[in-house]
Amino acid sequence: MHNSENKKEHNVIVFMCDECGQGAAKTAGVARLKYDTAVKIIRVKCSGMVGPIQIMDALNNGAEAVGVIGCCFNACHFFNGNFLSMHRIKLMKILFKEMGYSDQMINHYTSRAAEGETATGDFEDIIERLENAEKAGGTF
Amino acid sequence: MKIGIFQFAGCNKCFNETILLKDVAEYDIQRIEDPKNWNGDAIDIAVITGYLTADDKSIVEKIQSNSKRILAYGTCTTTGGIFGLAYQHGIAIKPLAKLISESEIPVENIHGCLGEIEELKEKIESQAFSKSKSLCSICSRKSTCAYLDEIQRQVDVQEDEEACFNDFGYMCMGYIATECKENCVKSGAPCRGCKPKVDRPGIRMLGMFGTLMGNVEVATEATGKGGTDKLADEDDDMTEAMQDVTGNFFRFSLANSVLPIGKIPSTGSIYSDIFTGRLIEEIPMIMGQLGGENAISLTLDILTAYETGANLSVSDKSKELREKLLALEGELQKAIKSQDNSQFADVSAKIKQISGNMNLSNLFFGGFRTPVEAEEDFDSYKSEVFEIEAGDYQSGKVKYSIDEQGKIIKFKMEA
Repeated sequence: MHNSENKKEHNVIVFMCDECGQGAAKTAGVARLKYDTAVKIIRVKCSGMVGPIQIMDALNNGAEAVGVIGCCFNACHFFNGNFLSMHRIKLMKILFKEMGYSDQMINHYTSRAAEGETATGDFEDIIERLENAEKAGGTF
Repeated sequence: MKIGIFQFAGCNKCFNETILLKDVAEYDIQRIEDPKNWNGDAIDIAVITGYLTADDKSIVEKIQSNSKRILAYGTCTTTGGIFGLAYQHGIAIKPLAKLISESEIPVENIHGCLGEIEELKEKIESQAFSKSKSLCSICSRKSTCAYLDEIQRQVDVQEDEEACFNDFGYMCMGYIATECKENCVKSGAPCRGCKPKVDRPGIRMLGMFGTLMGNVEVATEATGKGGTDKLADEDDDMTEAMQDVTGNFFRFSLANSVLPIGKIPSTGSIYSDIFTGRLIEEIPMIMGQLGGENAISLTLDILTAYETGANLSVSDKSKELREKLLALEGELQKAIKSQDNSQFADVSAKIKQISGNMNLSNLFFGGFRTPVEAEEDFDSYKSEVFEIEAGDYQSGKVKYSIDEQGKIIKFKMEA
């Protein structure tokens, strides 16, 4: 979708939870929805497993942007993992801004297992935000 | 045993502390205040203190090649320390182990601000450190580990002496710290992690605190691209409460962290780079940590500047105790000048009795955070709860401006 010839190939890591996140990705696959090839999905048991350590490891090892996709609010299949990872990412966004970088390279989303567009829509948003960060000169 | 102690840039508090090594008769100590012009004699152990930059590489390599072991003493040398906060403003401060090759002679780290002389001795004797527990395990305060509903700042001084600082939202770094001699927590100040027990302490603490903040309101919005809700960019309770993530979680580890070097333009002076962006309630202790032999007078300058500017009352008793500290600072400087180890130990003990430790954790706006040993009637010299007032403040050698949130926007210190 995004990879027309004059566009740079990106490298994006998306952590998706095994419940709603992966569910939405699978539904997208069944419906043959397309998404940017830059997106590399890492399946995690719950988005609450993903914190600053995993995100910084991804960014320091070649990822240009990181997204975390969990269940809808109040629908975490465990307890509140989606809220916890969201709070950590908000803190990281504050930190990135304080260090003089863009906070658009790290984002948190939710998705619905029954709707594949919720996953591909999130991917589109991640790429769009990364491009904005690049334009503003705020990437690593 | 020939020991060379080298002082690089920084506050020389750790360098001065090494005067106490004189207690051990078998140590043949050389103190080198100007490592650039060191003669290069062979030594058994090199002790490096102060913060380092890429410019110091060749000097440290010369020291390394002329000694059998190399020790980094104090957090400035081991992780960049408090001076590493200038990393936010693009100043590349380097931890010793990242500056030189460790293939032949590895760097042995003695963390701590102030570095602990007992641990330096243990390291010199190649013994294991006697202190290795986590700070939380020896802390008298008890944590509930419950999710926080709101984040409080230290300007709302808490009466509760049994609850964990993190239950208020003070962001205490005890979780990642080793037990220590300075023990700021005992003096009523939350730990800032100068003696990390784990690698990547700042980023781990950030993750842990993000989890603790689970109940704090965060702004969300609809994705609008077929997706559902996502984290929004607008300001919310979280951005309101967390005014200085860098200064609180990365106080001593910024230059050694997984973060890339900061892009905030430098202000031209390392001290103003360190202080800009910090919070009003944090700056007395930061000054206590990097003020060196003038730490007491400079910290009191910071306190009086705001107290007079914002009309905070200071009791006579507090003033009297502060005068005592000032007099002790003079004595300490004399002891340093004459290299008198027993007087140095004596005066340090007296300072610690009033200020809690050499980082002056007990000093706060309006008075003291915790009761001073041998002084009665704590209420007569207790620190105050105060409202933050934006403005310009000046006293003695320091001059600073703060905004409505209490963030330092300008800082100037006379040399």
